[in-house]
Amino acid sequence: MKLYAPHVGHLEALEELLTGSKDIYGIYMAGTPDYVGTGRTNLSSPGLEEIAEQTARAHEEDVKMEVVLNSSCMGGQHLTPEGYNRVNWYFTQLHNIGVDAVTVAEPYFIEMLSKDFDMEVVVSVLSFVDSPQKAEFYEQLGADTIVIDPVINRDFEKLEAIRDSVSCDLKLLVNEGCLYQCPFRYAHFNFFSHANGPGPKLNVLDDYYYYKCLSLRISDPQQLIKSPWIRPEDLKEYRHITDTFKIGGRTHFPNWILNNVQAYANESYDGNLMDLLDCPRDIRDLFYISNKELEGAINQWKQCGKVCNKCGYCKKLAEKIIKVYTAEGCGNILKPLKS
Amino acid sequence: MTITDTLAKNRGELENKLRNLLAKPVFLIEMDAFALPCGCKGLTINTRGLQFDDLEIFEEHINEYLKKTSENLEVEPSFLFARLVPGTAEVASLNSRVLCNRCYMDFARGTGKQPRPDIYILNFSRRE
Repeated sequence: MKLYAPHVGHLEALEELLTGSKDIYGIYMAGTPDYVGTGRTNLSSPGLEEIAEQTARAHEEDVKMEVVLNSSCMGGQHLTPEGYNRVNWYFTQLHNIGVDAVTVAEPYFIEMLSKDFDMEVVVSVLSFVDSPQKAEFYEQLGADTIVIDPVINRDFEKLEAIRDSVSCDLKLLVNEGCLYQCPFRYAHFNFFSHANGPGPKLNVLDDYYYYKCLSLRISDPQQLIKSPWIRPEDLKEYRHITDTFKIGGRTHFPNWILNNVQAYANESYDGNLMDLLDCPRDIRDLFYISNKELEGAINQWKQCGKVCNKCGYCKKLAEKIIKVYTAEGCGNILKPLKS
Repeated sequence: MTITDTLAKNRGELENKLRNLLAKPVFLIEMDAFALPCGCKGLTINTRGLQFDDLEIFEEHINEYLKKTSENLEVEPSFLFARLVPGTAEVASLNSRVLCNRCYMDFARGTGKQPRPDIYILNFSRRE
């Protein structure tokens, strides 16, 4: 199994990851947002010297280094002569450093990287590859690896069709807890891309999408079950699709990342599923979802038509196993979802 | 009891009261006591799952709960308000604030419950 782990971006954290686990095949982190930026939140923006130092350190442990530059919106800057030159220069520096792979979401960058640079070209989840047609398109454009849109993580017919359609590598993001068929997905990632990319910087009031996303789950906890995460125990169900898995969460502490690496490397986790999910971290202390009690649910999802009002499986499962933390004095106790 | 224990206890109690009132798992993600350089001080309680409708329908109860929480934490509940995500139904936080003179004047000049798109006033006690 090839396991890719997230990394916040500084040497100390990298050291913790490299010494904390021998199960990491590759590390991925954001670069500086001055050139391309990323479609997710970042806590650091390593400069070229830091990337060089960390790439060398990862290589000492035989671990691959991947730089994620997956803005979903560049506002057209990359299509200007100045923008092209700036991005081309940055890609050249990453290449000279010896970075193994670059993850991008913009089709233009996929073609640019595959044509002129000798680095693995990875299509980001933020390219939303959810069909064999899109996968074929990106492969023809020059992709070496496609990270499949997690929205189809439980749609095996589509996953198998993609596998049959392309010969490039496929990667699955295992622990993204985004809403299934999230209506905010494009808008939210575009917003992040501008907030975490080249200027001009935004002076926003609040992250409306994140507030809304949390509120939707708090008022309707079955959404937590419907999110297309993959349990560590269920990786074996995906082996005919790929053996390459990506753990999301580059704003988390190394300890959290290592806990995930261990769970997915061992293909087992005895605890709260919320511990493993990247996205809704702020409600981790609200819900308890026993991971072991989800055993066998994948069999339903494998043959599910995704028409929730007819099926109702996730709703019933949520009512059965989700517990809510309730304050009592200064402590917390667990109560059933329906009490 | 330390200040942090008092905060923890009151966070939990207010959360339970709101959940019972609204019959849904409202989550008080963080309760902070603050002091600003202008002289304002008070409490901010970041909420998730609380909607503007909840405030309008249960304003009297929420006002009372917030007042009680504020008193428990020795913050005079003279100015209670919710911070909204403008243009949406989301309530970002509940707040109890003892206004400094300058900020008091900013609010005292205004009328109505929403002097700004992001503020919904639950209680504003005018000074003599």
